[in-house]
Amino acid sequence: MHLVKITTVQTLEKDLKVIILGDYAVGKTAFICRYIEGKFKTQEPTIGAAFFLKQWGPYNIAVWDTAGGERYTGLSSFYCRNAGAAILAYDMSNSMGMKLDLMTPESRDITLEEGKKLARELNENIDISKLPSDPYFETSSLNGQHVNEVFEFIFQHCLPLTEAQRKAAFEKNSGTVELTEKDSTKKSCCSK
Amino acid sequence: MSIKAFELVPAIERIKLMSDKARTQEDTKNLFDNLKKCIFVLLDRMSGYMWQKFIHRNHFVVHYTIEEKTSTSGKTVFHSDKQGHKYLAVKKPINQLKAASALNRIMVLCDNTLILLNMFDLEPIVSGAKIKGVTCFCINENPAYGNPFSVEICVALKKKQLQFYTVTEDRLVHIRDISVSEPAVALGLDGSFVCVALSSQYCMINFETAHIQDLFPFDGEQNKPLILRISREEFLLSGPSALGMFVTSDGISQRPPLQWSENLINQHQKQAIPFQGGTYLGNFDGRLFIASGKEIYSLVPVAWEKQIYRRFQQQAAFIEFSQQNFDEARELFKDGQVDVQEVISLYPKLLPTNTSFTRSIQPLHEIADINQLCRGQDSLLTDYKTFLRLYLEDIRGTKEAIGFKQEIDIALLKLYAEVNSPELIPLIAVDTGCDLKDCVDWLEKYNRYHALALLYKYHSENDKALHIWTRLVNGEIKDEAFPGLQFVIEYLSNLTDHELVWKYVDWILEKDPENGVKIFTERPPNEPQSERLRPDIVIDYLHRFPKAVITYLEFLVFQKKMEKEKYHTHLAVLYLDSVLQLMKTNNIKKEEIDIARSKLRHMLQISNLYRVQLILGKAKEQEMHAECAILYGKLEEHDKALRILVHKLKDFGGAENYCIVNSQGKDPSYRKRLFHALLSVYLDPSYEHKENLVKPAILQILPENWSVNLLSQFLNRNVRKSLNTCRTTRIELCNRAFGDSSFVRYPNGVVTHVHCAKNKHICPVTGKLFSTKRS
Repeated sequence: MHLVKITTVQTLEKDLKVIILGDYAVGKTAFICRYIEGKFKTQEPTIGAAFFLKQWGPYNIAVWDTAGGERYTGLSSFYCRNAGAAILAYDMSNSMGMKLDLMTPESRDITLEEGKKLARELNENIDISKLPSDPYFETSSLNGQHVNEVFEFIFQHCLPLTEAQRKAAFEKNSGTVELTEKDSTKKSCCSK
Repeated sequence: MSIKAFELVPAIERIKLMSDKARTQEDTKNLFDNLKKCIFVLLDRMSGYMWQKFIHRNHFVVHYTIEEKTSTSGKTVFHSDKQGHKYLAVKKPINQLKAASALNRIMVLCDNTLILLNMFDLEPIVSGAKIKGVTCFCINENPAYGNPFSVEICVALKKKQLQFYTVTEDRLVHIRDISVSEPAVALGLDGSFVCVALSSQYCMINFETAHIQDLFPFDGEQNKPLILRISREEFLLSGPSALGMFVTSDGISQRPPLQWSENLINQHQKQAIPFQGGTYLGNFDGRLFIASGKEIYSLVPVAWEKQIYRRFQQQAAFIEFSQQNFDEARELFKDGQVDVQEVISLYPKLLPTNTSFTRSIQPLHEIADINQLCRGQDSLLTDYKTFLRLYLEDIRGTKEAIGFKQEIDIALLKLYAEVNSPELIPLIAVDTGCDLKDCVDWLEKYNRYHALALLYKYHSENDKALHIWTRLVNGEIKDEAFPGLQFVIEYLSNLTDHELVWKYVDWILEKDPENGVKIFTERPPNEPQSERLRPDIVIDYLHRFPKAVITYLEFLVFQKKMEKEKYHTHLAVLYLDSVLQLMKTNNIKKEEIDIARSKLRHMLQISNLYRVQLILGKAKEQEMHAECAILYGKLEEHDKALRILVHKLKDFGGAENYCIVNSQGKDPSYRKRLFHALLSVYLDPSYEHKENLVKPAILQILPENWSVNLLSQFLNRNVRKSLNTCRTTRIELCNRAFGDSSFVRYPNGVVTHVHCAKNKHICPVTGKLFSTKRS
């Protein structure tokens, strides 16, 4: 269910900004939450945007979650600025609500082939043949299916790690800093 | 928000804000820090329609210094001193005001023109440098050029252009222009970048390279664009749905947006914006100031530990509350600074219906409402209500109540209305936070009609208020608190909406013409003249109510001292008519007529404006001599007047008084002439036979220097007559007057007092002896 649009990396050497876009209530936040926290949680609608940091080897990666609500459409292109990669999320079935775990062949609205085709079209400017796979993933935030693959695919493309670095990264596996924590640290700064 | 992260500390309060001349509602527009002292420059702007009438949008700049201190108890307090104020001779309000302390200049944007004032005397600078056509401007706090003797500013012009200037003490040096696609409405400057709010979107512009980067659109109708430079190369902008968007000079966001929750924003509005458009919030070297129409406050952050402690207090407060430990609960509510709405929300229907309040996201308690706590026990319910009433009364008008006036007042109104408290009326009558929306139904439900009418009155819904009072007077509805018709009369006599006055006049006068006329006679002293209340119109109208007309004319003649013949004649005629009416009536007491006549005479005497002949004709007809005398006096026919006084009325004192009164303020010879006339009246022989007894009185008033010759005839006659009288009325023997009805007569005709007749046989005068024998 996730298309990955990869642009030429414009960010600073060490950093990458990844943004997720998509319609209201397709599950963008749940998807990021599954990746960052490793578990599934039902989410309140995102307001404006949210922001997560993820360590990728020596790199800091900012994952931006955006709000799908209509009143925030004006902000999407603003938040896309300087992003190295964008994830376009959609609901594979317009009728069913959620995702691969709920999917039966009958309830599908968009076929695997159509999805892949769109992903290729969106990535016209890069050589698809050099990618390890199509920049298209069908995921489930509920059971975690294919979620990590999406991010690793992006990170590895934009900021390739050596095998050793990757290993080290997975051993640590605690490189996320959640926004709310960051916020409270800030608060105590202010009151000193 | 139950936990207060900031506390409002008054910095300048209303009393101090009021400059002697400028009794206006002020906005602060700028504040800045100077060696631990902030110097305030305030903008006085007329707001509130009430004042506009009198001080036609005058604009003042007021200059304050503010010193921050920490009191011994650890609280932050501010001390403010007014340094001066300056009236700006401009018709439009001041839009923006910034201080450039390094230059000792204040930049003022008013009527689309940017001018410079000297910071200390607030006078315009001599060079008169100005920029015209400006919609807003902004100072660069991170100057691109860094010249310490100048300030960099960006101005947005009406014609889709931004201009950059450096400002020196006396000059505005133009640097460059940048054209934009739409007019700019807000600006933020930092380094070489200017963040601009155009009419529908934000842009980031590098004014060195003129590169324009679009940021994001906003709905200009719903949200006022707001640009706040928060740090080097970073701005905070207001985005859709109350989002605070961070944007760097590169046009990207490095932080997630801030969500200003509805509640929080609401709370601020209530604290800082009692009327629309009159607020200002500014950050001055870390001090956050908020200006309302009345005061300026500083937002002082509350220590984190204190916030936690308060949270405990708040939770404890609700536990005590649920156990009816009311005293403890009240103290904890206050000490813990519990949002008063949290408490009111426990009482069903007591919060305003339009409230946006939701209970604290982290619940402070698990109480649904007081009904749940009381479980149908009415006495307990009453206790809870009493508690709320006392608590609200306790905090009303104090620091805890800041921002919640409406909530507190509405809740109190509802509580008072329920139990018919005498506090209800005072709550509504003066400076109330109660709105109509919530309170009307409630007051009607509990039949507090008089209070309801007062509330309408407070909200200038005079017609509705009067309608209720009409129904109260007519007995259609009942409310013991209503003081009666007199109250309505008083209200109408102070009502400035004269159209509305007329609407109810008829009804009032039908009810009570004598008191009703006070609507016209007891107007506020400084009320401007109005065509609708012109005396002629009022008199015409009052025609149907004779007593009311008299009262009104008395008001015009005696109180307003209006010098119009029409009113004076009218009043005199009405007085006369009422006398005649009384005279015609049978069995009327003499005193009543006397009173009526003395009123008439008083009027006739003191006024010189009525048509004398008209009154005189009628007075003569009715033989009202005293009145005629006055009227002749007015016609200067003193002889006639005095004749009436002397001969008809025999009021000699009155006659003399007449001479004095009618010669007042005139030449001394005039008085002499009058007295001479009086004398002639007295000396007139045609009346002599009746008047002889009064002659000694005349002699007394005769001037000493008059020759006896002049009066010889009169004196002769009188002396002779007096002598004769004297002789014929005295007794020969002892030369004393008769003192008794009994006397003694001797056979020879001599008459004596009984006690003088010592011997009845001998005449005491002639000595003749009469026979002692009884025949």
